[in-house]
Amino acid sequence: MTTASTAAPTAEVTEIDATARCPLLLLLGFALLWLLVSGALALVNLVQLTTPTFAAACPVMTYGRAQAMQESAFIYGWAANAGLAVTLWILGRLSGAPLRSLNWTTAGAVFWNLALLLGLVGIATGDATVHGWIQLPRYVLPLLLVAYGAMAVPGVLAWTGRRQDTTFASQWYGVAALFLFPWLFSIAQMMLVFFPTRGVLQPLIAGWFVQGAWTLWLAPLMLAAAYYLLPKISGKAIRHYEFAALSFWTLLFVGAWTGGRHFVGGPIPAWVATVAGVSCALLLFHYIVVALNLGGAFRPAGSTVLWFVGAGLGAYLLGGVLDAVTSIRGVAMITQFTHFSTAQTQLAVSGAFSLTLFGAIYFLVPRLTGRAWPSLSLIRGHFFAALLGTAALVLALAVAGLIQGREQNNATVEFSAIAVHVKPWLLVATAGQAVLLIGNLLLAVHLLRAVCPFRQAATAPATFRQPPTMEASVS
Amino acid sequence: MSDQLPPDPRLEQAGASDESLLAVHEKALGKKPEDGAHYRLLPLMLLFVFSGLIFYAGTYLNHFSGHYSAAIFNENAHPAKAGAVAKVDPLVLGKKNYDLVCTTCHQATGMGVPGVYPPLGGSEWVNGSDERLIRIVLYGLKGPIKVKGADFGAAAMPVFGQVAGSGYNWSDEKIAAVLTYVRQSFGNNSPAITAEHVSAIRAKEGDRKEWSQEELLKIP
Repeated sequence: MTTASTAAPTAEVTEIDATARCPLLLLLGFALLWLLVSGALALVNLVQLTTPTFAAACPVMTYGRAQAMQESAFIYGWAANAGLAVTLWILGRLSGAPLRSLNWTTAGAVFWNLALLLGLVGIATGDATVHGWIQLPRYVLPLLLVAYGAMAVPGVLAWTGRRQDTTFASQWYGVAALFLFPWLFSIAQMMLVFFPTRGVLQPLIAGWFVQGAWTLWLAPLMLAAAYYLLPKISGKAIRHYEFAALSFWTLLFVGAWTGGRHFVGGPIPAWVATVAGVSCALLLFHYIVVALNLGGAFRPAGSTVLWFVGAGLGAYLLGGVLDAVTSIRGVAMITQFTHFSTAQTQLAVSGAFSLTLFGAIYFLVPRLTGRAWPSLSLIRGHFFAALLGTAALVLALAVAGLIQGREQNNATVEFSAIAVHVKPWLLVATAGQAVLLIGNLLLAVHLLRAVCPFRQAATAPATFRQPPTMEASVS
Repeated sequence: MSDQLPPDPRLEQAGASDESLLAVHEKALGKKPEDGAHYRLLPLMLLFVFSGLIFYAGTYLNHFSGHYSAAIFNENAHPAKAGAVAKVDPLVLGKKNYDLVCTTCHQATGMGVPGVYPPLGGSEWVNGSDERLIRIVLYGLKGPIKVKGADFGAAAMPVFGQVAGSGYNWSDEKIAAVLTYVRQSFGNNSPAITAEHVSAIRAKEGDRKEWSQEELLKIP
């Protein structure tokens, strides 16, 4: 039922995409580069868990430094670049006008990634700070903050200058992510690195930042993409959309309170961990509404993008339930401070965030370049590698964590015996990470082929049909 | 409509334009019930789910919040049961109150002031009958009194108990603690006084005026 209208505003690809091409492709290129770096380092880390002598002679590749580099490259390299690229594009599209001041994004991206490179070199030479998710050396942190502000300028302008008064869930989540990261990041820098608080307060702030960076930054970026892609591709309105705002505000108000869940059983006042566990339970309301809204992504109906979004959504919902369950103190007795916590983090960032963002990239790039992806099998290969790799990584780490947790609570089991018992599962996790890396390599190669000017003969110019008008029926 | 496969699967076709996407969802927020007279169950269910979560959260907080105290780190510790009273060392409680009040007259040494305030250390009143001693502190004492062979009488012992005319209203526990402290300090070494004993005497005597030496000597 394609409408025959040729009016410019309803064309699928407009100058909105054309003007955004270079800055957004730059962000995506950086993102994939860091994703590969991070994947390779993660592989080194996992091998070291079972073979401690691996690369032990090389100071740069010792576990602590490699882990800090891997984590920073993933969060600040892949997640930040890719998340911003997709969110800026969605905000531009929904504002109904080309993104303005994109030079800010370009300049910001260059400085952001240079700072990150400097930061990784700093970590490699021993300048890392000690707090999770903010392990970059102190001298690059202010630069990152300023560069982020510059990159986000077009998104804010697209929000304030939108053509329609009406707003959509993607815009709420996207704008929230743009504004909340600087809030989290600046406070964490100040209170952990430049004017460090002392004693019990320090791990509390570190936990607040780690959890906030997920619930208030990466998760909203991922939800902005998911809320846009599902109705956009299926052509049907989001089910029970009237509850989406409740879900959004639940995440915003309760999300930051869940930071203490990392310390159940730890040396902090008991009420902090209890309030965090309770917040995780209240957050289930958010997950229920997201499941009601986006459940249509589990029926992709031939759309490869929705395969990715559906898989990412599944990981997101499972992660929410796991957060609530493992913050109950009886369960935390076993899972806390084990590989299980790592599995949860991987489920969130490699599962929910990355899978959804891959889908968004597959949707976005043909519209930026005006050309179809060169190969369908590369897309499918990437999907199955990403799904299989993430599932193997998360499941193996979860099982290893359960074994580790149960046996560490049992005083009769020697520590070395526990290491032997979890080793097979860590090997499975290593294999999963390797598959994941191969899949991401496929995406990187594919993107290179898609944008490389010399290979244009191999790619078909994209012919987008006029998108039909959305019906009121729900997906 | 959008169920048909796009012609080129390497190219994801859009199922809706951005304008219509915004418009349709804006309309959905208006929440015009287009389902006739059918009652919508979902809002009610979500309300129940959210209420259930809040109920669970409240219960859990109540059990494990550690009274929101910055000093309670053990989240598995059950908070003290309502009505439970913490064990207090009577010597500590007694000394605290002695230093606050009694020391004004009887002095920190417990030896009083010769001719004005009688001594407590080595006193036959303190180390003798506990029946008399408790009555003195509960109701006070007026008039002349002989302690360790010396005469006193210039000052009156105030009323401490929770009785009519009391300026202090000390609980029976507090009086027992102070008396125990006095009976085991300043060189004294007499048995402790229990709060139950103080309560029993207060119940027996009711409200009355200060004791005199003669009245007290009639009590065993």
